[in-house]
Amino acid sequence: MKKDEHFSEEQLNAFVDGELDPEEKSRLYNESAHSPELDLRLCQLRKLKELVRHAYDDVPPAKRPGGPALRRSGPFGGVLVAGILLAVGATAGYFGQGLISKAPAAKPAPTAQALEQTGNYLLHIVSGDPEQMQSALAHAKYLLDSADEGEYRRVEIVANERGLDLLRSDVTSFAEEIRTLQENDVVFYACARSIQRLEEKGVKVILVPNIQQDYTALDRVVMRMQDGWKYEKI
Amino acid sequence: MPKRIILGISQRRAFRKLVENSRDRLYRMAYAWTHDPHLADDMVQQAMFKALSNQKQLKDLGAAEAWLFRILSNCLKDYYRAKRDVVSSENVVIADEVTPEQNTEKQQLVDKVRRAVRKLPLAQCQVVTLVDLEGFTYASVAEILEIPVGTVMSRLCRGRRALKEHLIDVGTAMAPRRPATLKRVK
Repeated sequence: MKKDEHFSEEQLNAFVDGELDPEEKSRLYNESAHSPELDLRLCQLRKLKELVRHAYDDVPPAKRPGGPALRRSGPFGGVLVAGILLAVGATAGYFGQGLISKAPAAKPAPTAQALEQTGNYLLHIVSGDPEQMQSALAHAKYLLDSADEGEYRRVEIVANERGLDLLRSDVTSFAEEIRTLQENDVVFYACARSIQRLEEKGVKVILVPNIQQDYTALDRVVMRMQDGWKYEKI
Repeated sequence: MPKRIILGISQRRAFRKLVENSRDRLYRMAYAWTHDPHLADDMVQQAMFKALSNQKQLKDLGAAEAWLFRILSNCLKDYYRAKRDVVSSENVVIADEVTPEQNTEKQQLVDKVRRAVRKLPLAQCQVVTLVDLEGFTYASVAEILEIPVGTVMSRLCRGRRALKEHLIDVGTAMAPRRPATLKRVK
């Protein structure tokens, strides 16, 4: 009987994975010193581990149209989106007038600390039901109106699947409401993949003006949740 | 009902940071399980979303990494369940796609190993890659995949046995006859 038959395959695996208890480990070390067969088996297992690791050192990135995978630039990367003006300050007058008032003047960007403490919201629209859409837009308005004085509150709306209809200029019934909310710094995002899917079916997608695009709605959702924003799916 | 300890603000912030920092590792694992960059990307996004949505369920920040990989595994399970109506991932085998022939010796080796991993049933593939790529302990793998430690060990045995059949000659053929080039050593 070969000496290495004292050890099961499971024990040898546990040995190379550092899971064997010290006593058994010592026994295995001793036997492998006198058994070339056992030594070879251990060597092969270690080699297998190394081969698997090596094979996945560099994995191909996901192919995303229009650029690389969503990456963040720093602890609060992506929070300060270029071109977005913050609806801060002037809250008494502005919120008193609701959405009818003109856009407030741009204010200095808040600190990271301030942003962390704010109640910013991301609304995610997946429903193609006009009533749900209307409710989402009304909710966005309410969120802006209900912010405390001096509070930095930002609201974004991201749409995908059937919810994309909200942002399609030839389909939506809410272009005017969207424009008004945009004037009050609500930022709208369309899911590029949903657009791509529609276009693959031969549907020409034209969005209402000033709609941003993210590769997927989930990209934006994950990013904002990482920023500590509140998330609501509608 | 288990007692729930809600993470404080600083821990929640640390958790969000950890989720972001884990993205590449989650993606590598998802890729190793699916060998499909697009699907792997989707799985990671789903997992990150679920982790952030359910962070209140996390009792201990120290357990967050294993928890993230567990969510990733469940996302994949859900995907296959919906796609193929397969309840158990035990026998799912990822399709063996033919990849374009590569020129470099390194790429040929990488392709050969990946092909062998891809031929494993998903359940074995998951155990092998969680242990070998992430260095998770058997206990952590058991927790991630929600299986007993004994099952982890037996799947690992079967997985490595299958890999050995396909790969061990590769390792032998690759035995260097020149001094090894080490990674950067400080």
